[in-house]
Amino acid sequence: MVTYLQVIISGLLLGGVYALLAGGLTLIFGVMRVINLAHGEFLMLGAYASYYLFMRLGLNPIVSLLLTLPLMFLIGWVAQRFLVTRVVRAPLLTSLLLTYGVSLALTGGAQALFTNDFRSVPFMSGAVNVGELALSIPRLVACGIALVLTAAAQYFLVRTRWGKALRATSQSADVALACGIDIDRARTLAFAIAVALAGAAGTLTSFLYTVYPEMGRTFMLKAFAVIVLGGMGSFPGAFLGALALGVIESTAGYLTTTQVAEAVIYVTLLGMLLLRPQGFFGLKEA
Amino acid sequence: MNTRSRRSILAGLPASIGLAGLALSACGGSEGSSAAPAAGGAPAAGAAPKGAPVKIGASVSTTGSNGKTGQYQVEAYQLWAEQINTRGGLLGRPVEMVILDDQSDPTVGTKLYEKLINEDKVDLVLGPYSSGVTQAVSTVTEKYKYPLLSAGASASDIWKRNYKYVFGVYSVAESYFYGVIDLAKKSGYQTIAIVNEDTVFPKATAAGTAEYARKQGMRIVFQEQYPTKVTDLSSLITKVKAAKPEVLVGGSYQPDSVLLTRQAKELDLNVKMLGFSVGAAMPEFGEGLGKDADFVFGPSMWEPSLKTKGNTEFFDTYKKKWNREPDYHSATGFAGGQILEAAVGKAKSLDREKIREALATLEIETVLPGKYKVDDTGTQTAHIPVVIQWQGKDKPVIGPDSMANGKPKLPMPEWKARA
Repeated sequence: MVTYLQVIISGLLLGGVYALLAGGLTLIFGVMRVINLAHGEFLMLGAYASYYLFMRLGLNPIVSLLLTLPLMFLIGWVAQRFLVTRVVRAPLLTSLLLTYGVSLALTGGAQALFTNDFRSVPFMSGAVNVGELALSIPRLVACGIALVLTAAAQYFLVRTRWGKALRATSQSADVALACGIDIDRARTLAFAIAVALAGAAGTLTSFLYTVYPEMGRTFMLKAFAVIVLGGMGSFPGAFLGALALGVIESTAGYLTTTQVAEAVIYVTLLGMLLLRPQGFFGLKEA
Repeated sequence: MNTRSRRSILAGLPASIGLAGLALSACGGSEGSSAAPAAGGAPAAGAAPKGAPVKIGASVSTTGSNGKTGQYQVEAYQLWAEQINTRGGLLGRPVEMVILDDQSDPTVGTKLYEKLINEDKVDLVLGPYSSGVTQAVSTVTEKYKYPLLSAGASASDIWKRNYKYVFGVYSVAESYFYGVIDLAKKSGYQTIAIVNEDTVFPKATAAGTAEYARKQGMRIVFQEQYPTKVTDLSSLITKVKAAKPEVLVGGSYQPDSVLLTRQAKELDLNVKMLGFSVGAAMPEFGEGLGKDADFVFGPSMWEPSLKTKGNTEFFDTYKKKWNREPDYHSATGFAGGQILEAAVGKAKSLDREKIREALATLEIETVLPGKYKVDDTGTQTAHIPVVIQWQGKDKPVIGPDSMANGKPKLPMPEWKARA
């Protein structure tokens, strides 16, 4: 019994980090109908930013969030202004090709700049024991930060004027425009927020996993599964989808093997596409 | 790539998200680089090499999951080529290395060896990195009758196919943990858990370890595999914890050995001995884990502190050229070059049949501990792997006794009791 609880907790903690990445991905899709294939690479950039801030300046990754969040926000802003905005109304293939190109360019650039070395940040480790349960300290902290950031983003979307503009743009860009919403700015804001969240996810993964130029791809596959589960375009859906995926992954890993768990993730994804393609909370039309 | 993306668009929007994601896992073309011989450098000994260069081709993983490890091997190949050119070249001709990158993908590796042999028309080849790639690539070199020194591979399956042209440089993967098991046995530990990545080399390591542990009378309380590029091993560690082994060994590469150690601590899994293949012998293991690397054992094919032939010179010249210390994958790569050089010397020609003969019968010392000597199958039989243990910033050799320069620290204290 305790073991199952342990497995479920591990899954939830894992899901917290997936949520940050998937949340941004789904936000971009909701507001622009653009599938950002470079999203994992923004996570990678965030991870490297934290790695270097830790190694060079001794900055603790949690403190470095104060730098990486605005930095990644800026990168997202610029990427949207100069690149993504050109393909928002274009056929889906165009935006896929563009973001895939950005993804390759960022991976290649990172290989050239940072080399292919596997790096890790020796920061925070160990467990707190609650009875027979061992709770990973770094994962608790990472999940906590992910929760706070997701909640902040959700608050922004629901409670603020700009958040409303984003949601309006997501529901219908034309009507939003007719109502006097600056949809260009709304889109830029959405993209910048999404990239900042991906960067934050990168910071958190920097002390949980290994940092290397191709790390984004592994996480992207999970993020896609999450938003199919949660529903494309739905921010709360992505959060629940991420937790669900984390639990599915760890439970399947415990009951069978970690190898089978990887397959279970994609079978779940396919099953969801067949049975409920809009996910838990997805946009009905896409 | 394009066709894949296009197909995914046609599959409809929700599906396209899933497929586009999957398409990410396939990646683009290959990068080529070649190291020209160090021209103009004054030869230290022997006459300057003359004539058309001898082209030696190799494809090594310098990107992808084993990119880090493969880089060491490439650096060693280039150092060897540079040195041989300053001492008169191969048969008096300069050596030119043609080095490609297989992105840690066996399929790409086979294509690149086809390219090296058919398009670049290399005279000789040296081996790629990792057993998976080497196993795939050896089918190509066998087809074209190119002798292949596997300077970065050790799964014994490579030599179980009656191939005539593939030769082992260092000990087979199955024997990696013999030293660790011997130590466990000597210390009175009875139970062991074995986990491994599900690729060729780690599988072989785990299988050999299991067999040897059983032979030594240890009980295997848990054994399981995990996929490559894994990001979370908490469910695996939870199961290991439930099995309560005294010893845990991982048939692993670098990223997974770091992840396993981290998550062992995070889930408070306490064992008396912890050992990992590949990762634990690399300097990056200590850099990435800090104090948590302490007490971890790892098999190593070579260590800087060993008093093997030419080792100090190898270490110094390597460090000078590449601005970092070699690890054992550098040494096996360098030994590959040394062995090829000796075989060509013995064959006195670039005739690949004669070189194959030479490789089958040669017995020489390299920078690696033990000797180079293969049996009928091409399996390496005279190399001696050592065992290291992380102790603070150092990782002394703690076995075998004849080469040890440190004492093992046992048992590994509980995580809670460590700073």
